[in-house]
Amino acid sequence: MAHKSILVVGGGVSGITAAIEASEAGSEVYLVEQKSYLGGKVAQIYQYFPKLCPPNCGLEINFKRIKQNPKISIFTLAEVETIEGKEGDFTVTVKSNASRVNQNCTACGKCAEVCPVERSNEFNYGLDNTKAIYKAHEFAFPMKYSIDDKVCLGAECGKCVEACKYDAIELDMATKSLKLNVGAIIWATGWDAYDASKVAYYGYSQHQNVITNVIMERLAAPNGPTRGKIVRPSDGKAVESIAFVQCAGSRDENHLAYCSGVCCMASLKQATYVKEQNPDAKVYMFYIDVRAMGKHEDFYTKVQNELTLIKGKVGEITEDPITKDLTVLVENQVTGEIMKDKFDMVVLATGMVPATAGLKLPVELSYDEDGFIATDSKQPGIYGAGCVKKPMDVASSVKDATAAALKAIQSTVRR
Amino acid sequence: MVKKTGVYICTGCDIGDSLDIAALSKVATKEGKVPVCKSHAFFCGTEGSALIKSDIENEGVNTVVIAACSPRVNYDVFDFGPSIIMERTNLREQITWCHPANDEDTQMMAEDSLRMTLAKVKQVELTEPYQGENMVETILVVGGGLTGITAALEGAKAGYKTVLVEKSPVLGGWMNGLFKQAPQKSPYTTPEEVDVDRIKEVEAHPDVKVYVGAEIQEIAGAPGMFDVTINQNGTIITERIGSVILATGAVPYDPTKLDHLGYGKFDNVITGQKMEELASKGKLVRPDGKEVQSIAFIQCAGSRDSEHLPYCSATCCVESLKQATYLQEQNPEATVYIFYKDIRTPGQYERLYKQVQKDGGIFVKGDITAINEDDEKNLIIQAADVLSGAVISSESIDMVVLATGMVPTTAFGENLIVETVSCDTDKKDSEPTEAVILKSNLLNLAYRQGPEMPTLKYGFPDSHFICFPYETRRTGIYAAGSVRAPMDEISAIEDATGATMKAIQCIELSAQGSAVHPRVGDMSFPDFAMQRCTQCKRCTVECPFGSINEDEKFNPIPNHTRCRRCGICMGACPERIISFKNYSVPMIGNMIKAIEVPEEDEEKPRILIFACENDAYPALDMTGINRLSYNAWVRVIPVRCLGSLNIVWIADAMSQGIDGILLLGCKHGEDYQCHFIQGSELAEVRLGKVAETLGRLDLESDRVRMEQVNITDYDKIPAILDSFSDRLQELGPNPYKGF
Amino acid sequence: MDEILDVSLDMRDYIVSSGAETLSMCMQCGLCTNLCPWRLVHGEVSESFNIRKMQRQAQLGLDGFDEEEVLFACVTCGMCQVNCPREVNIIENVRSMRNTTAGAGFIPKILKPVVSSVRSNGNPWMGAKEKRAEWQEDLNIPAYSDATEYLLYVCCNSCYDPRGKKIAKSVVNLLQKAGVSFGVLTAEEKCCGESMRKLGDEELFVKLAESNISLFNGKGVKKIITTSPHCLETFKKEYPEFGGEYEVIHYTELLGNLLKEGKIAFPTELAKKITFHDPCYLGRHNQVFDSPRELLQAVPGVELVEMDRNKNRSLCCAGGGARVWAEVAVGERFSELRITDAVDKEAEILVTACPYCVTMLVDACAGMEKGDVLKVMELSELLNAAL
Repeated sequence: MAHKSILVVGGGVSGITAAIEASEAGSEVYLVEQKSYLGGKVAQIYQYFPKLCPPNCGLEINFKRIKQNPKISIFTLAEVETIEGKEGDFTVTVKSNASRVNQNCTACGKCAEVCPVERSNEFNYGLDNTKAIYKAHEFAFPMKYSIDDKVCLGAECGKCVEACKYDAIELDMATKSLKLNVGAIIWATGWDAYDASKVAYYGYSQHQNVITNVIMERLAAPNGPTRGKIVRPSDGKAVESIAFVQCAGSRDENHLAYCSGVCCMASLKQATYVKEQNPDAKVYMFYIDVRAMGKHEDFYTKVQNELTLIKGKVGEITEDPITKDLTVLVENQVTGEIMKDKFDMVVLATGMVPATAGLKLPVELSYDEDGFIATDSKQPGIYGAGCVKKPMDVASSVKDATAAALKAIQSTVRR
Repeated sequence: MVKKTGVYICTGCDIGDSLDIAALSKVATKEGKVPVCKSHAFFCGTEGSALIKSDIENEGVNTVVIAACSPRVNYDVFDFGPSIIMERTNLREQITWCHPANDEDTQMMAEDSLRMTLAKVKQVELTEPYQGENMVETILVVGGGLTGITAALEGAKAGYKTVLVEKSPVLGGWMNGLFKQAPQKSPYTTPEEVDVDRIKEVEAHPDVKVYVGAEIQEIAGAPGMFDVTINQNGTIITERIGSVILATGAVPYDPTKLDHLGYGKFDNVITGQKMEELASKGKLVRPDGKEVQSIAFIQCAGSRDSEHLPYCSATCCVESLKQATYLQEQNPEATVYIFYKDIRTPGQYERLYKQVQKDGGIFVKGDITAINEDDEKNLIIQAADVLSGAVISSESIDMVVLATGMVPTTAFGENLIVETVSCDTDKKDSEPTEAVILKSNLLNLAYRQGPEMPTLKYGFPDSHFICFPYETRRTGIYAAGSVRAPMDEISAIEDATGATMKAIQCIELSAQGSAVHPRVGDMSFPDFAMQRCTQCKRCTVECPFGSINEDEKFNPIPNHTRCRRCGICMGACPERIISFKNYSVPMIGNMIKAIEVPEEDEEKPRILIFACENDAYPALDMTGINRLSYNAWVRVIPVRCLGSLNIVWIADAMSQGIDGILLLGCKHGEDYQCHFIQGSELAEVRLGKVAETLGRLDLESDRVRMEQVNITDYDKIPAILDSFSDRLQELGPNPYKGF
Repeated sequence: MDEILDVSLDMRDYIVSSGAETLSMCMQCGLCTNLCPWRLVHGEVSESFNIRKMQRQAQLGLDGFDEEEVLFACVTCGMCQVNCPREVNIIENVRSMRNTTAGAGFIPKILKPVVSSVRSNGNPWMGAKEKRAEWQEDLNIPAYSDATEYLLYVCCNSCYDPRGKKIAKSVVNLLQKAGVSFGVLTAEEKCCGESMRKLGDEELFVKLAESNISLFNGKGVKKIITTSPHCLETFKKEYPEFGGEYEVIHYTELLGNLLKEGKIAFPTELAKKITFHDPCYLGRHNQVFDSPRELLQAVPGVELVEMDRNKNRSLCCAGGGARVWAEVAVGERFSELRITDAVDKEAEILVTACPYCVTMLVDACAGMEKGDVLKVMELSELLNAAL
């Protein structure tokens, strides 16, 4: 049957999945991603729970599926500007920002060798730097370089232009805007980590060795800023004791009223990262309830002897000004004893904030009080997928994105 | 087709600066006798690719070899359409980027890899997609509960005919027993009316054919061509079906096993299911007529309990909270206790938890130490209240509700021991490594490998993959809803819709003759040269997807639309009668033979690597991309799956003097990573058998080694190779060199 | 866990009916216990007082919360309450639980004279009723009338305590300098009742409230200036339910506004390093953080330094919740930590804006013999010096 085309916004695991699943059933799909690469948040994750397998494995298969599938067109460094029309016939304008590097790029890397400017590497949450012309990360797909125009010196430098044998660099490249005609839209712009510094008593951004769960993924990743060594930001010392503090923002009327669903499993998983590097490490996790749904319970049971689980929501986290060690104050509710334990590092299990809490769709749509796209989102032909709908783990996001693909196809065949 | 081969050697990205391109070209022109061989500094550029296109159009080149970067990049630039045979030689990532420039060994490596590709293209033929007979686009949905109804409806809405089979006389499943359903929209604080419209809608839909009071007697055939026999109260109906969705759901855990919680012992200890029934009747009253003023919910009744169900049933917390509001609704003064281990209300269901707190619910975290009944049949619960640090005794409670967990319908029935292979030494070969098939009488597949879906732990026929929750072990059959994993209504609806998407995909792809996930677009399929078959059954036993049946004489009967194109059967076949048009035993054999093995005195040993395409091969690329250098003696042959490794290749390699063979494949065991389930494990099993082959050749068995690598292990690869070559140094050169 | 305790829903319901309406909202995460200032000191109270567990016992109506050092430990600083993930009104819960015993007259020995003084004299400081207005002598403050805009209500402490009187006088002087139209009432005025309510004597509080309200309403009071944040809290948030609707403002906030309007200035230079201690009832409870700081910065030469625990995270002086009368052993007082906080920042003057804070901090400073490096002042005192 002939399908009209589908627009998928967001190139994370949900968006990639929705795009591929729809196209493998015969639909033409446009995939629009804000960053220079596909993969979104999962590309920054070291291992998935509960299998402790690398996300790049699944991404590689998905990229393979995209490569062999001419029905998918990808626009990276692009954003949706306007959406007009209705189910079955939407007109969408997409602004594609200038990467300043064209399709000729072979990713040989000569340009970065000569680039004189450094920039903070957001892929690693600023824990290291890249050049102003850079490849987002080593598994980046599409495998092309791009230029950070905020720091690039431009024409008066031009060293990269000389170095490139393939005329791949256009410092004067302009942003383009294009119109797409689609029958349905899948919105899969994902989530952001809650700003942990808002939970003042945990001292994130005050105490160097208080980090967040998303940063922990980069610290543990072999392709991360520390080449996978879990060390303290303050002094690079290998971590011998670590505390995972759950619900740093989630389940809290002052922050996120909902439960972010994945943080318990994520912390249990990250506990195994630490143990893998240092079996003698002292690992604590402080929680209100441990939420290991369904068969995830197995993982919870399995790792229980790897760490010490304490029921109690941590109070103030204080820093020793000299050693930068951290003291966590919390009541062990099972024994009633007040603990004031020292740790090398504290990982805050910060929750998920839907991207739509900030950046709304350029079209009438209903959201719930937290900015998630409402389950009854009064806009036929436009479907949320993944964490813009509710907090989800990877498997649930993929499941949801696959479902969204079918809903989108329905919108394109409905007549 | 008469092949006219063109070899295109790119000199860009350091290739030209580090290799003797003229010499490399000779390999193509002199040795390979290829009519066209060109080099260019930028083949992926407009000019370069135009040059190739013009050769295709003007010179009649129909077989293109690109000797440049990895096939993982520039796939789009070098796509010349289905009528052109295209192969890539990876000079960049795997040679010039990880080996010294202008070095004899690097040059030899490049020349060998071109020889191997040339040998390969000699054998590659264009694929002709398999066309099944009278294929249909109809979807069969087994199970008429929320999931099944949703699947049938969503399929029909996308324009596909669906057949919905429900064993009970009415559609709706557990929906029928519910008073209200858990909230599904903001603010998530009050239960909603059960969505019975969905049932009406499916019954009314012209494209949905509903059979109630019906069971599946048999499912024979393959995707696009299933022949399904349905038994509707004794009458036999047959339907031709494209793909199948298993939505038979779950049942509550048997409460009679919970006498420690007073079930069966005390009249007023009931299950959640019973609670719904009572609530539907209106005022909550006990069998003895007493109006319920106080109620206690006991969570994890069976779940999270090694004695019963080790897993969490995922929905019980929300269900009990929902039921708590029933009583609050009737009587705001009523007392509600909830005894729990952890309150598990993920996402927005936290708001339902909060609502029940607001209503005055009493939450007790801790184990039940005793349940007693007073003479008015009220119940008193003693529990260890972690939060006050004391054992507490409740006031008398009118009714206790056990939140019993859920058990998938696939978890019942006699355990069928499927004949599979295991390298786990303390298991017998006949013992399944992890797939269990129970005769649960749901699908009754006419499959040689058993009548139902293989299940993972606890009887769930779930996918093993986080990234691919619909990666099924029975092509064209997708499990959805609580049969696949414990899940709430919202998730079940999503899951039903997702599974339907996959069912539709399977129909569309099978019609084109394409493989389904993960090799979508692969138009090849295994061809069996039956005259040489010895009926050894290895192919039928080892196929991870049950795609091969057997006739009464044990001849294999392939079902190509069930096939996932992994080539495991090809690797399994001792007679080597199974091959694909673009992937075969002789093809790889010739690639091996194409490797030039230097004389012993040249002291240039050779290591042959068979690398899994999905993880190991990209890992080798990553090693190059990160400019990590490694042993220059290696020659790499990518394989679809290590499971497709045929032992004869080992013999071939050894007998021509290659010193060692390294198999790089995916992790296996409980958390296996192989997308063909047992592929890498099978390879290891076969290695066990290699020993004697080598023995016959007087070779040490550790000239062949297997390593498990994933895509991110690239940094470990140099060390893996070095340790292997060190071992080979100890063993000394392969005596067969120069034979 | 050997003892078996019986759940008493009657007890729970009694506590809830006394005002603990959000008791059941507590999910026992324990953040309250872990943020509680008692965690920062040692000693018997710190060891026995666990606000999380106390509320747990209330939820089930279990015995155990009524031991004196548990039930009367809370200083009502609100640190737990502003951060509570379930927005539980924890102070109301404490108050309601205290009411279960205080209602029946069972209160700590130390509080008995205080309460009887309030009953007989209308103030907790054993001061004679008729002496309430003594501090006003030769300040020529008009009595409150229709001609005056504000009623200046001076905290009992400032009416009787020698240091307090100075504070009252300096506030008056500032208000007069700024040309604020205000008047005072005299002997018939009674304690606002804040502490009485917090210690659980609801009956007494209601008496006081009703008496003050009839007095205020009789005089036609519309606007009230308070010297104490505790009076501010009570008039603003608790009197309305008894028919006392007033526009209530703490003097620091009023002066802050006047400063902005240019109605008052502080020309005299004061070259000092100063830090400000946010009183719980001015800060956390009423979210007044800026005015005091703006006033301080308006004084030439003043270098304002912040202590690490400031504003919403300010550390309580331990004077709230009727603890201003509690006997606490040296080394177990929050006020001592606060003095250390200030000294660590090398502040020369620790300024605050609450009579209770002054009392507690002055004691601590003296007790720790830090008087030579650190001076404790009430904001009005300092501002006066800068006029």
